[in-house]
Amino acid sequence: MTDRFGLDSNQLQSIVAEGMRGGGDWCDLYFEDTSYCDLLLRDSEVSSGGFHVDYGCGIRVLKGDRTGYAYSETCDLPSLLGAARSAACIAQSGAQAGKAFAATPLRRPGNDFYPMKEDWRRADAASFVEMLRRLDADIRSRDSRVLKVVAMLSYSTSQILMYNSLGELTEDFRPLGSVSVTVVFKQGEQIEKNSVSRSLRMGSEMLSAEVFGDLASRAVAGLDERFAARRPKGGKMKVVMGAGASGILLHEAMGHAFEADFNRKGQSIFSDRMGSRICRKGINIIDDGTLCASRGAVNYDDEGVPGQKTYMVEDGVLSSYLHDRISARWFGVAPTGNGRRESFRYNPIPRMRATYMESGSDGTLQDLIGSVDKGIYVDQFSNGQVKIGEGDFTFYVKSGFLIEKGRLTMPVKDINIIGNGPQALADIEAVASDLRIDEGTWTCGKEQSVPVSCGIPSVLIKNLTVGGE
Amino acid sequence: MITNEELSLTRDALKYALAKGASQVRLTLAKSKEDLVATLNGEVDRVTSCLDRSLSIALFVDGRFGSFSTNKITEDGLKDFIDKAIGMTRMLAPDQFRKLPALERCCSEAVTGNELGLVDPEYTNVSPEDRKRTALGASVYGKEGSEDCRIVSEEGEYSDSIYDTIILDSNGLECRHTENSFDYGVEVTVEHEGEKYSGYWWESSSRAGQLDLSSCGRKAFEKAVAQIDSDAMDSGKYNMVIDSEVASKVVSPLLAALSAYSIQQNNSFLIDSLGKRIFPEGLTIMDRPHIKGQTCSKLFDSEGVRTQEGPIIEKGVVKTYFVNTYMSGKLGMEPTVEEATRPCVLPWPVAGLDRDAILGKCSEGILVTDFNGGNCNSATGDFSYGVEGFYFKDGKIRQPVSGMVVTGNFLRLWSGLIAAGDDARPCMSKLIPTLAFADVDFSG
Repeated sequence: MTDRFGLDSNQLQSIVAEGMRGGGDWCDLYFEDTSYCDLLLRDSEVSSGGFHVDYGCGIRVLKGDRTGYAYSETCDLPSLLGAARSAACIAQSGAQAGKAFAATPLRRPGNDFYPMKEDWRRADAASFVEMLRRLDADIRSRDSRVLKVVAMLSYSTSQILMYNSLGELTEDFRPLGSVSVTVVFKQGEQIEKNSVSRSLRMGSEMLSAEVFGDLASRAVAGLDERFAARRPKGGKMKVVMGAGASGILLHEAMGHAFEADFNRKGQSIFSDRMGSRICRKGINIIDDGTLCASRGAVNYDDEGVPGQKTYMVEDGVLSSYLHDRISARWFGVAPTGNGRRESFRYNPIPRMRATYMESGSDGTLQDLIGSVDKGIYVDQFSNGQVKIGEGDFTFYVKSGFLIEKGRLTMPVKDINIIGNGPQALADIEAVASDLRIDEGTWTCGKEQSVPVSCGIPSVLIKNLTVGGE
Repeated sequence: MITNEELSLTRDALKYALAKGASQVRLTLAKSKEDLVATLNGEVDRVTSCLDRSLSIALFVDGRFGSFSTNKITEDGLKDFIDKAIGMTRMLAPDQFRKLPALERCCSEAVTGNELGLVDPEYTNVSPEDRKRTALGASVYGKEGSEDCRIVSEEGEYSDSIYDTIILDSNGLECRHTENSFDYGVEVTVEHEGEKYSGYWWESSSRAGQLDLSSCGRKAFEKAVAQIDSDAMDSGKYNMVIDSEVASKVVSPLLAALSAYSIQQNNSFLIDSLGKRIFPEGLTIMDRPHIKGQTCSKLFDSEGVRTQEGPIIEKGVVKTYFVNTYMSGKLGMEPTVEEATRPCVLPWPVAGLDRDAILGKCSEGILVTDFNGGNCNSATGDFSYGVEGFYFKDGKIRQPVSGMVVTGNFLRLWSGLIAAGDDARPCMSKLIPTLAFADVDFSG
């Protein structure tokens, strides 16, 4: 792949040598050639679309925990040597050198988490136009209240080459395909909308009848309830979170606080709690780069570390933070493959991949709902957010139901739920045995945007604050 | 910053696209440079240097439209790119409403890029040492805090940047915007009795000499300390005062709902509102894109259409939608501009009110100083946001509040407008002052 970027191994070495010249103790290069394509259906026609090319190389120099970073959008040797010199200036910051980095473990043969039978680059885009038209027709045929359909197919391929001062050369080819649909409905004078999506790291074979059928089905599901939904009376209450997309709870309430940069800097509410019990026995929370075809899968992270499965919480005890190379060296542990970045324009930082909780043994979703006298059941979400220091998290519920005397009653919508991460973890009262990974287009926005996914079995939480009237 | 060679390549790309079958073309060449020094606990933590360049191409081919971009900007590379882009555009469905804006609507006054005085001649004199000195000089680590309230972390970021954009189209449009930005932001985390609290403050200016960092760290520290022992209030209806720092949260959804895209897709709670009194008489939002020397002022939108000074909502009456050339055709409406450039909420009921005066006017309620997540249903205007801030009584702050959710509908919220202050920060892209609303649902 070095040909794609027009450089041979001697030139890679000379760029790294330039980066290290000022006294840095680590230098790595991250070459990227990404092609992104999108097609947009609106008013039943695919009348806009395009493609976008992003190409360049980011150069990072470390001295101790400190980072120098520069990039170039042209990959000729003089430009890259110039960028290396800019990044190298961090060595003059007065930082102490860090311990030497250990050699990166090799990826296990066969560990390819991006199945790709049909390469997006050779696909017939005209056929995609027809697929979107059929999706539009399918959705419209399912319910007479459909007023507008907007559907977008986007896909990208990224060719990545990484090289570092240990002489390790790593290549990765990353496909990503996504279909998202927003439907506006009208019933009388009332307008409602719903959005659904699927996103997978695989080739164009992902555009199957099953995927489009699933999207069409979910786009119009629960419409009667949606039109009947009301705001509940707000306040603190028991919350049953349905399997799948409720994994956003783990992402916001716990995952970010487990990212090691926040803990290295003492900012996280979970700093200094390694080895402590943070929730009841039997609960395991994982961040996983090895889920095949998942939006959060990584063959390698963006520091060349092989993708792996990391237990953050084992049997209720905090067992690992999520590390990039800097934090791993600081904590004296091996990197966990969480050093990720949006593109070559950014230095890598600890980021989640696919974050989920393993199934529990407290029965089914119905068992959980049946145990609640008064509370709320939620199953569809949009954005979330967390304050790292305080641990206060929030996520927005698109739809759900009130629970009264163990039964689902009034449908609810458009409410925010807020809680505190450690408290919410400690307040998990029951975990069902129905783990599901959500395949929506989840994107995490911590300083930079990276694709992630999340999942969870149905859980019952004792006490969260629910917005309402 | 954009070189003559790059401009020449862009002009050649336009001619090439026309020669290859495009009926109309628009090219946007954008270039930027940013240098940043980040500090952690009073020491340099990260130094970055970024130089970006991209060319966006809007192609109108055989009644069809495609949108493309690349950062591989070489003569041969662009020809190959345009060939493929034209091929892809021909694959799309025809759309009779896709066309360039008429030249007479477009901006002809943006020639040098610095007509609004947003380029600082001192920018090129800023050295790496200056950046380091500025970033470190702003740190309060080790200077603020006490035994029982120590700073556990202070992260600061100083950056200076320049953005240069040129739009060309096949109707003969050529306009340019150049802007410097000098920015500093700092987040301070303090620990008190085992609990952590964080506060953030930032400053920005298009002039290096006008960037005052002297109080940034202290303000961030004070914001963190002010939250110590915060708790939720009882659920119920309260007056809500929103600090100007975060008040755009309740204005942005209104502007989004006035977008013709949202209206055409029935995804707006302000459909059929043009010319009608939808909001209370106290709400006036002006667009003021031509104020010289002010961040985010701009003479043209992304189509190159001339921006206009004028009312968006005036005394509660919706005065304009944001209608670009495409939506103008689709909706059969007169075109305006793509979006608000520099919206400004005017004071009401009197000029000169600041946050303290508004707290006094409301007497009792909750002052919101930060939002924590949440969302707005763009079709209905229903919203629900996490909030934190302070409970106030008799116009005085009494106790910090956190872990609460505010829920409502934007039309109802604005109908309860009590006051709009006169204290918007000029460095913000939306000039929104402190706002006060009556009878808002808080859950805690």
